This record gives sequence, structure tokens and C-alpha cells, in this order.
Amino acid sequence: MALEAYIGVSVALFALGLVCIISRRNILYVLFGVEMILNAASINFAAFNYFNGGGIEGRVFVVFIIILAAAESAIALAIVLNVYHLMKTVKPSEADFLRE
Amino acid sequence: MQDIHLTGFGLLSPELVLGAVSLVVLIMDLVWKERGSSRLGWISLAGLALSSFLLILAFDDSVGQTAFGIVVVDKFGNFFKLFTCGALAVVVAFVMGDQRERKDRIGEYYFLLLGAGMGIFFMVGTNNLLLLVLGLELLSLASYALAGFHKGEKRSAEAAMKYIVFGGFSAGIMVYGISLLYGLTGTLDLQVMAGTAEGVGLTRSLADAVMTSPSTVALAMVMILGGFAFKISVAPFHFWAPDVYEGSPTPVTTFLAVASKAAGFGALIRFLAVLFMSPDVAAAVGTYGLQVGHLIAILAAVTMTLGNLAAVRQDSVKRMLAYSSVAHAGYVLVALVAMNGEGLQASMLYLVAYYLMNLGAFGVLIYFHGQTGKETYESLNGLGRAAPLISISAVVFVVSLTGLPPTVGFYGKLAVASAAMGVQDGAYAWLVLLMLLNSVVSLYYYMRVAKHLFLRDSDGQTVRPQPAMAALLVVFAALNVIFLLYVEPLEKWTAASMDLLLIGR
Repeated sequence: MALEAYIGVSVALFALGLVCIISRRNILYVLFGVEMILNAASINFAAFNYFNGGGIEGRVFVVFIIILAAAESAIALAIVLNVYHLMKTVKPSEADFLRE
Repeated sequence: MQDIHLTGFGLLSPELVLGAVSLVVLIMDLVWKERGSSRLGWISLAGLALSSFLLILAFDDSVGQTAFGIVVVDKFGNFFKLFTCGALAVVVAFVMGDQRERKDRIGEYYFLLLGAGMGIFFMVGTNNLLLLVLGLELLSLASYALAGFHKGEKRSAEAAMKYIVFGGFSAGIMVYGISLLYGLTGTLDLQVMAGTAEGVGLTRSLADAVMTSPSTVALAMVMILGGFAFKISVAPFHFWAPDVYEGSPTPVTTFLAVASKAAGFGALIRFLAVLFMSPDVAAAVGTYGLQVGHLIAILAAVTMTLGNLAAVRQDSVKRMLAYSSVAHAGYVLVALVAMNGEGLQASMLYLVAYYLMNLGAFGVLIYFHGQTGKETYESLNGLGRAAPLISISAVVFVVSLTGLPPTVGFYGKLAVASAAMGVQDGAYAWLVLLMLLNSVVSLYYYMRVAKHLFLRDSDGQTVRPQPAMAALLVVFAALNVIFLLYVEPLEKWTAASMDLLLIGR
């Protein structure tokens, strides 16, 4: 397959993630969206690494993105759980105590 | 530079010390299980002191690369590492002196702070975008947890939630931008991209990429700069700052406003300097009639104006300081429009001034918040008589934040203005003028603090003395004045730090 096919998938995934972050009110969907953007970047790294044909930097980056995403989810879910315990909601617009 | 493999591991000793101490703190917290003791705080301070000692010891001669060339040790990085150690030490002292801080499991607090510090160390000490992202994320993840440290408090929980949503989003965008840049150049090393070092395998310099596919490069740069803009709270990525700063525990706010922001600037300055100050890339960008300086100028203008105008409307001193820190990010950017050695040095000088005045201002806030339980301007009424020494220090800090003599804030603004005026026959004069206008606006809300402290009648508030905190604040106030009269060491230090930023050039 050509490089363009991989980039196409990656851009589509990135766009879906962006839409997910912007349109959804529920914070869990926002976190899904962030994961999708990170995975879109992973596809880019793997594809560019293969087609640039040299070194392992891109593939190493993919491994680290997976670790990053896991660490971020762990902390995010802990924070969201705490918010849910305190406010019984996981929608940022409803949990709004800080003044504008 | 001769020794790029693991044999140069000694260069990493400050980072290793910080990591070891953070683990010691975490384990001793579990072993001792005690409340209200400051032993763990002292261990953290000792670790930070040892780390700074190693940095100062090696400031002049430890230059090189290690861990297969990924970690770069140079004076520029050491400057920001020392800055971080200093800021962390003061934040740890604030935690120890904060009357409102929770006392159980306090070891986690220090552990997270030291972990964030280690993230900063790696972030400012690398030319490799992978390590840059990892350092940035280590800092961010620790900051998210710190923002929500008061688990039972709704405000703290909400601050953490907002922080991780915006932070995760901007980190994702930044990583995607880096993936595009990697695709264009075939490397993650900034120096290879800039064409100042030899790469492995098939690589291409950024200058070539700018010539062949300018729009992709522009997109990648906007995405990466977005990630930096989030960290340093520059418009339009500053929306998280007021809410997170207000909801977080105040020592954490101090950390975010000073150490985390300076780290963002350190990484941003290295990124811009290595890439866009290299002649090839600058020439390639120039063929399109563009300059990176123009983009920075616009961001700076918007950021400082928005920050200042919003700060005027606040009733809470903490929230006012949050907006003011957004405005100060704009002032630092003003120095960066120059995109030359003088501009970078001015931005570093300003950051040192910012360190002195902002740590002091937040310290005063913690001191009075511990006494009154409130953070509004009204809660300061008449405290000038109850706590004269602290109140006079507070006035010094706000004068310094405004940028008036006789304080180091004045010198910082002067350096920034002269750096921005010095390029292209004063093409950025409008920006400097805008900065002056903004300073006038900021005078209003900073002086409100002094007004409430000294000119309003007290509602019978008494102040319990806290000698340690008071001494720290008075020392900071004195430093604010001393460094204006005796500015030479600061100038020498920042100039020396500049020397080796352009390593390998």
C-alpha cells in the first residue's frame, strides 16, 4: 500500500477524535477523543518510519505513545471518579464551581 | 560531545539525585505514616539542594550529550534546571508553611513535585522531540494529580478535571504535529532538522521541507506551538489557566505559575532557537516573506492584553494572580520576537525577575489565606497594621509585578523592551508601546492589593505570627530590590547560559 493510504486513515482518525472532543459534553468522550488523536499520531509515526526507511525512531515513538496514553488514562479516570463522587456528574458544564 | 553513549551517564547525576530522593520520600511516607511532621519536607529540600549543588558545580564544564545523544547537557539547560530547583524548593517550603494544607499523606505531595521537577529536567535538556514529549508529559501528569490533590474539595477536583481535559487535548495535538514533522524530515532530532548535525539514515533538513511542502510544515508548527502555548498559558490556549490556578491548592498554583511555565518557555526557546535561528531555515522561511517573530508578536500582543483586561475584573486575589501570570507570559514573548541572542537573554532575565516577584506574591497569598481563610481583596482589609512586615513585602511584590522601580520587575521589563526595540529598526515599537499600556492597566489591579492592605479599616482580624514564612517572604522582597541595584550577576549568569544554547553550530 502507498503512504497516502496510511495518512488517510490517520487524518480520518484525527478528525474523528477532534469532533468527539468538541461535540460531546461528557468528559469520558473527550478522553476517548484524546486517545484517538494519539493513536492517529501513532499510525503516522509507524507509516513514516516504514516509508522513510531508516532508523527506529518512529517505531520507538509509537511504543512510548502507548505508554503515555495508558498513564494519562489512569490519572484521568482517577480524577473523573473523584469528580463523580463529589458532584454526581461527569459533564464539565454541570460541574462548574469556579467563576468565569 | 565526543562521548555520546552511556559512558557519559555522570552528566545525568542531578536528574538521578532528584529521582532517588523522590523515591525515598515516597517510601519513607509509607514507613513513617505520621501526620503533621515536616521531616519529609526537609528530605525533599535536601535533595533539591544536592541537585542544585551538582548543577552549580558542573555549570561551567559539564557540556555534552549522553544516553545515545538524546540528553543534551549545556548551560542553557542547566539554567532552567537551577531555576526549577529554586522554584521547587520555595514551593516545598510553602507546603510546609501553609496552614490550610492537609497533613496526612503529605509525602505524595513532595513525591509528585519532585517527579514534575524531573520531567522539567528532561524537557529542557534535550534536542530530541521524543524526550521533549516524555519530559513534558511527566511534568503534566504530575501536575494533573497535584491540581486535584485536595480530593474532598469540589474546586480542586474540578480544577484537575479541566486541567487534564485541556492538557490531554493539547498534548495530543502536539504529538500529531511532531509526527508530521517526523514524516517531513525523517528525524526527531532538532539539530538534524536544522541541518546543523549529521543524521542517521535518510533525513532531510527542515529548510528543504519548507521549500517543498510549506503548508504541511506550517500545520505541523502550529500544532507543536499549540502544545507549548498550553504549557505557558498563551492565548488562545490560556482558558484553562484561571480555573485551574484558582481551584488548585495554592502551593500547586505557585508551582504551575512559576516552574511549569518557565519549563515551557525553556523548551520553547530551545525549539525556536535551534530550528529557526539556523541560517538555512530562516532563509527558507524568508522566501515566503514570513518571519517567526511576527507570529510571536501577535501572540504576545493578544496574550498580555487579554490577561490584563481580565485581571482587572477579578475579586479574588488568587484569580487576579492567575490572569496576571497569563499577562506575564505575554511579556516574555515580547522579548522572543527579536529571535536573536539578546532577545533570548532578555526573556531569561525576565523569567528570573518573574520568579522573584511571583513566588513572593503567592507566598503572601498563602500567608494571609492561612490567617483569614479567604482569598478576596476584602479579606486583606487593614492587615497592613496587623502584619506590617508581610504587607510591606506584599507592596514590594506588586510594585515589582507592575514593573516599576526600585524593583527587579522594572529591570526585567526594561530588558524585554530594549531587546524588542533593537531589531529591524524598531519595527516592533508598537508592541513595546502596547506592553507599556498594559503595565499601566496592571497598575490598577496590583495597587488594589496595597490599597486594601493599608487604606481600608480592619474588621478586627488578628494575625498569628509564622516566623519561618515571614522570614522567607521578607528575604524575597529584599531580593526584589537588591537585584535591581546589583543586576550584574543576573546579566552574567543569563549571558553565560546563552553561550551554549547554540551547541553544535
